[in-house]
Amino acid sequence: MVLAGLLLLAPAAGAGGDDLEDQMRAVASGLRCPVCQNLSVADSTSELALEMRALIRDQLRAGKRPDEIRAYFVSKYGEWILLSPTPRGVGLLAWVLPGLGALAGLGGAAWTLRRWSRRSAPPPDVPVPGAALARIRTAVAGGDLPGTLSAEELRHVEALQELELDHHAGKLSDRDYAELRALYEARAAAALLSSETPRRRAPAEGGPVPRHAPGRRGPSPRVWRWVASGVFLLGFGMAVGFFLSGAVRARDEGGSITGDALTGTGDAAARTDSLDLRTLLERGRQAMDGQDLRRAIDFFTRALERDPEEPTAHASLGLILQRGGHPDKALKAFDRALAREPSLPQALWGKGLVLHESMGRTAEAIRAWETLLAQDLSREDRERVTAMVAEARARIAGRTSPAENVAPVTR
Amino acid sequence: MAWKRLLLVFGIGAPLIAVLAFGFTRDPREIASPLIGRQAPPFDVRLADGRALALADLRGRVVFLNFWASWCPPCRAEARALEASWRRHREQEVVFLGVNMQDREDAAREFLREFGITYANGLDGGNRIAIDYGVWGIPETFILDRTGRITYKHVGALGGETIHAKLEEALRGEVSRLEGKGEYRSIR
Repeated sequence: MVLAGLLLLAPAAGAGGDDLEDQMRAVASGLRCPVCQNLSVADSTSELALEMRALIRDQLRAGKRPDEIRAYFVSKYGEWILLSPTPRGVGLLAWVLPGLGALAGLGGAAWTLRRWSRRSAPPPDVPVPGAALARIRTAVAGGDLPGTLSAEELRHVEALQELELDHHAGKLSDRDYAELRALYEARAAAALLSSETPRRRAPAEGGPVPRHAPGRRGPSPRVWRWVASGVFLLGFGMAVGFFLSGAVRARDEGGSITGDALTGTGDAAARTDSLDLRTLLERGRQAMDGQDLRRAIDFFTRALERDPEEPTAHASLGLILQRGGHPDKALKAFDRALAREPSLPQALWGKGLVLHESMGRTAEAIRAWETLLAQDLSREDRERVTAMVAEARARIAGRTSPAENVAPVTR
Repeated sequence: MAWKRLLLVFGIGAPLIAVLAFGFTRDPREIASPLIGRQAPPFDVRLADGRALALADLRGRVVFLNFWASWCPPCRAEARALEASWRRHREQEVVFLGVNMQDREDAAREFLREFGITYANGLDGGNRIAIDYGVWGIPETFILDRTGRITYKHVGALGGETIHAKLEEALRGEVSRLEGKGEYRSIR
């Protein structure tokens, strides 16, 4: 009996689990994963997305509605977290602009098509001047074509003559003939008129007139169009060149595509070309003091471009590498500094730190610090180094870990 | 006719390029926090020394709340500055509280030992506290005034002077709407 009850319940429980999973996916697929690019929380495999999905599941189990859960995430990450922005305020633009864009595109296309079709069809309501029409008809009927007709006019006249022949031969219905004749005559008359205008003006000006006579008043619109296109292309090319050079370089995680040029948050290296070696080292030291390690690295790297074996730059980069958790590279940097200047305090101090703290080579660390103590140091520095040597000795002697010297956590 | 076309090109082209150019100046990973100026989300956390701590217990003091992980280089870069700032401000009504996230517990403890950290540090197992604060890049720091309101948020490594200035502001109850930013790592 109990077994039967369990069997009956089992599918229901399974369906409940699936239901929860579906609900979770429905919510998660509407949320943007904060550490990915264009992936939803449902699709991302990142650790954070995994935790967010677990959180959604827990909230659904606790009886929260999907919109309450979405509101929770919006209250933490802002509207940014929603893959579909709410149609309010600026978010409304995302909903309206594509529709408007499509409408504008369709409208533009329809307008252009209409213009094209108008250009190929004859102007329907333009009155054809009687004189021109009469002249064309004379030319067609009489066959004695005046020598003044241009090649284009001649073509129209010949087309009309052919049309007439076809009509006589019975190849064309009366209706088609009348329609086509009206069309061809209108075209021929228009051609006659347009070619007559400059011909009439020519004798008045007393000489041959170039085809683009009105252009003399200034550059034609076509020229302006070319100039504008040129300026636009040049600007566009420059912008692309500027941004692309920043975009295609290898950049750090979180680095801006513009190389921070527009955000103004750094890239001091670009402005260091005119600085001399001493200033570079000094600026680097200042940046290090100000915890701006990226700038400090820039300055020291520039310094090494001037003098590849500059010991202070190597030692400083070593200290930064050591802080960044790269003891091997740090040690190499210190050794390079010491190769040029075997008693450089910064390098000796750093080498000791790396050997002692990160590599466990305490005996070598003590040797480096003792070399340092043999030099002229400020009282404060001497005390610090002496304390470190004492601690290192204690570690060797008693194998005590430095962690045990740390004061208890305070609240 | 030509000026109409010019107007069309520049009327549509120029704003489009302006929008693109604006996009280039933005860090696509950056998420502006809606929490600044609001009450900090409450939480309970297990500290590295085994004790438990509730944020509510710290009411009446300025809280420096720092999310970190041992695998994040900028967290290492700022560790000594944070400890130095804690020692400088501990006599004032200021509490430093680190919250370790997306990390192994042994690695976190080793980090605390390595940098000789003496202020309290909690272990955020399921990263629920981090999600509750909308964390996306570490180190990420929130400064809370005496009433528990968030007065400042900084993504990335901090220096001693900034910490000092922002703690002083929080002690006076001033809110910085503008988020601070330094070198950071995106969380995983």
